[in-house]
Amino acid sequence: MKVWDKGWVRFRIHVVSALFAVGMAVMLFRAFQLMVIEGGRLGAMAREDYTGRVKLPPMRGAIYDRNGRELALSVQVWSIYAHPDKISDRKQAAKKLASIINEKPAEIMTILDPKTKFAWIRRRVPSSVAEAVRSAGIEGVVVVPEPGRYYPAKELAAHVIGFVGRENQPLEGIEKRYDEMLRGDQGTLLQIRDAHSRTISVLGPDRLEQGTHDVVLTIDNDLQYKAHQALKEAVTKRNAAGGHCIVANPDTGEILAMAVMPEFNPNSFDAYSSEARRNRAVTDSFEPGSVFKAFLLAAALEEGAVSPETAFDCENGSYSIGGSTIRDVHKHGILTAAEVVAKSSNIGAIKMGMRLGYEKLARYLKRFGFGRKTSSDFLGEREGFIRDPSRAKLIDQATVFFGQGITVTSLQLAMAFSALANGGKLMKPIIVKKILNEHGETIKENHPSVVRRVITSRTSDLVTMILEGVVSKEGTAPLAAIEGYRVAGKTGTAQKVDPLTKRYSDRKFVAVFGGYIITEKARLVVVVVIDEPRGVSYGGVVAGPVFREVGRWSANNLGMDPTPAAPEAAKDIPSAKEEAVDPKRALVLEVADEIRSGTVPDFTGLSMREALKTAYSLGLKTVLKGSGFAAAQEPEPGTDLRDAEVVTLTFNPPLEAVVNRSAVKR
Amino acid sequence: MPLFPFPSRVRDMGSREIFILRCAPFGHEGRQVFDRRLIQNFDWLLLILLLLLAAISVANLYSAIYPTKAFGGQAIFYRQIYWFILGFSVFLLVTTFNYKSLERLARPVWLISVALLVAVLILGKWTAGSRRWLSLGLITFQPSELAKISVILLLAKMLSERDHVAEYTLRELVKPILIILIPTALILKEPDLGTALLLVFVSGSMMLFARINWKIYLGIGITAIGCVPLLWLGLKDYQRERILTFLNPDRDPLGAGYHIKQSKIAIGSGQLWGKGYLEGTQTKLNFLPEQHTDFAFSVFAEEWGFVGSIVLLALYFILILWGLDIARNSKDKFGTMVAVGIVCIMLWQVVINLGMVMGLLPVVGIPLLLFSYGGSSLISTMAMLGLLMNISMRRFMFQEGSGLGQ
Repeated sequence: MKVWDKGWVRFRIHVVSALFAVGMAVMLFRAFQLMVIEGGRLGAMAREDYTGRVKLPPMRGAIYDRNGRELALSVQVWSIYAHPDKISDRKQAAKKLASIINEKPAEIMTILDPKTKFAWIRRRVPSSVAEAVRSAGIEGVVVVPEPGRYYPAKELAAHVIGFVGRENQPLEGIEKRYDEMLRGDQGTLLQIRDAHSRTISVLGPDRLEQGTHDVVLTIDNDLQYKAHQALKEAVTKRNAAGGHCIVANPDTGEILAMAVMPEFNPNSFDAYSSEARRNRAVTDSFEPGSVFKAFLLAAALEEGAVSPETAFDCENGSYSIGGSTIRDVHKHGILTAAEVVAKSSNIGAIKMGMRLGYEKLARYLKRFGFGRKTSSDFLGEREGFIRDPSRAKLIDQATVFFGQGITVTSLQLAMAFSALANGGKLMKPIIVKKILNEHGETIKENHPSVVRRVITSRTSDLVTMILEGVVSKEGTAPLAAIEGYRVAGKTGTAQKVDPLTKRYSDRKFVAVFGGYIITEKARLVVVVVIDEPRGVSYGGVVAGPVFREVGRWSANNLGMDPTPAAPEAAKDIPSAKEEAVDPKRALVLEVADEIRSGTVPDFTGLSMREALKTAYSLGLKTVLKGSGFAAAQEPEPGTDLRDAEVVTLTFNPPLEAVVNRSAVKR
Repeated sequence: MPLFPFPSRVRDMGSREIFILRCAPFGHEGRQVFDRRLIQNFDWLLLILLLLLAAISVANLYSAIYPTKAFGGQAIFYRQIYWFILGFSVFLLVTTFNYKSLERLARPVWLISVALLVAVLILGKWTAGSRRWLSLGLITFQPSELAKISVILLLAKMLSERDHVAEYTLRELVKPILIILIPTALILKEPDLGTALLLVFVSGSMMLFARINWKIYLGIGITAIGCVPLLWLGLKDYQRERILTFLNPDRDPLGAGYHIKQSKIAIGSGQLWGKGYLEGTQTKLNFLPEQHTDFAFSVFAEEWGFVGSIVLLALYFILILWGLDIARNSKDKFGTMVAVGIVCIMLWQVVINLGMVMGLLPVVGIPLLLFSYGGSSLISTMAMLGLLMNISMRRFMFQEGSGLGQ
């Protein structure tokens, strides 16, 4: 029963087998071509696909004070986000999250809108929280690292340092001015990523050199702290609208402290108004008042228009000029030029100014640095205003002689006082001491630079001697005197223009004290400005004590040798009574020695500020390392204070993180 | 005693069946002899090949879904295992009856499948711009899968019934062409270009076993090529896009060309030895779309390299050659033709899919035999392999049976 031609079919099957073999061979060859011949190239393409060169979120360089203490540093923080559309049990997820991040579940439920694909739950949490969220393993909830900026000194020098925004964009201060340096080149990070560009794992940085730089400021954290505290106390006590306090080294132009009230904490900058964040020491100009008589005196002496002994009739406190009547607070008869300044007679100042001439004064004021910006390192710095001689009417000229009708900034005042203190040279203010590269090598250092010589050192000495009279019992600011140091300075109480009436207000004043401490080897300028103090408004009363407090502490802290007695020169000031110096009170260090009994306390857990306060109250010198909260100390708690002259404290930041950028570089 | 009676038919001169005297799939085979012989003739090689491919496929699927494990990918893996279990049941079920009975059922099955293809165009579920799925209460399936088998069966029946040696006339060819073209046109309408092309290729390959004048082959071939522009006009935009992309892969590397570029990168980056199981980067990182379905081979090639691919291709080739051997040794022409048809389906599926994922053919959406995820295609593949096993198990019966009978 031969149903079909088997042989023919078999032949066909062989033919088909051969065709099929060809088909399979083609496939095999193609596989060979792709995987062996082109494999290397395609493999490289694959690597190119999955290794992303992801922009490394910049780990900004740090900002240090002059002693290497961190004022701004980069830390790793964590942020939590969710893919709400991927969460099946939102209630459960919200409940879990709520308990970890301390939030109401209902709040989180509203964030977890199932229609959205992405929602931040909370940004910038410490790693303990991040770890808790991660280990909870909530579906659709992701924890990502983000670079954060931490300002360990909080409010201290915040106005100088400035701050960066949420995305590390520079917003104010040194952070903004030196952003290019701090930020460096955008680094890249090699990452394994998926087709949706999600990072799977990190291979490491593409490049080790990130080009970030650290900025070292001239600010001294301890002085800054003291200036901040004293200013804050005064502003609070006087219920003032604000205030600034600048401590500068007149010989170098370095700004050692620049405290501004109202304060703000850059770690939570958005909780403060821009009013509070403004660096008023440079952005606000004000009429300085009688402080200006110091510069009038300097100009008049330099020009030879007056001598310290030149007598002026102070008209018993009332003098008409240019259709206006000028009054003195205290009625004076005949005063020498020195006394005009020490007792701050407006009428005497007008007469002295008339003798010098407004045009010459204006020229000197400009040479002292008024009327133009001092430096490019401060953002938003004001120039101030000096009325042009060609446009100054007699009354305009007269007011300028006692410091009204002209505006200055605190920084300009500090630099001008520096010129009086250092023998007559106007220095360029320095806020950035140096810039370090990644290896800690100095790539730029700001050396003291003299802008110009304003007055001779002889005139400078003369002015200093006369200004020393200001803090004498006879002067306007005995409260600014510092036991054991020569102090020269000038008070100012300026009327402010009422923005509503456009006239000088009877109630709004600016209380100023500018001056300097002189020892044989060193000098220190301190300028204190209290804006709109309530009640008492005299510069000597309101600003003087701040000067005294800050000056004394700073001079002490900087190791300036106290001058045991008032110098001979001071006696030369005509009619200015010698100030009797009580030898018991003169030596501050001895007083400190008496306090130093007992044992070294336990500093651990204290903030830097608290630790400094404690150490200071015990007369202990401190060496501070790191930032954050005290973690270790040397010597141990319980050591006799007499054996412990210096206590070394090591601080750790509260956010553990990658403080050392080397961790990332690795 | 005829141990293995054939269905007795009364035919007219044109080989058309007038009526069937009897056709008993189970009854006539003596129970004891039936069992023993079937077990003796059980095709272990076919089963081993099948199990090997299934095992590799499941392992590979696990790797393919690995990155999505957290988002329900696991479910895909388990579902495929259930499909395999169900598939093996179908496989075993199909081996139990004598395939000869299908000869009688070929025509009604073909009619049913055409009816279902019409139904899917009217009632089918729209998914991703086409209607391929028909919902039958609890289960949904693709009628085109049934159509493939029914066309093979009917063609096999037709070709095997023609016992005279003369070449086919054109008139005789009208019927097989209709058998092929009607379901093809309906599938094209879904649209499912891949399955339609597969059907044409498979039927065309089967027609090699008909005695047809080469001029007619040539004529049909030329006609088919002539129809290409017509076909082009009938294509959907995305289908044209795929073909244009195939012709010039760089014209849209992130759009239409993305699949094929990523697939080539994945396969190529496997190089000689592969990246290792679960170590594939392109697939793990979701660069490759459809990696558990049509592009499953890319996952495999990336992780096992050229060496692994040779092994896999060898398994397929052995399966195909063994299928042809089964066809060759079948006791009757229907068995041979059914086996040939099944082998053709397997071969073309493998060739089209591999050609597609390796950038030799346009992306037409043909799953890789036994390898890609998907229930409908797996069940129909298992049914076809079951049929192959069925034919293989009964391959010696004719000779031995006739020997005994004579």
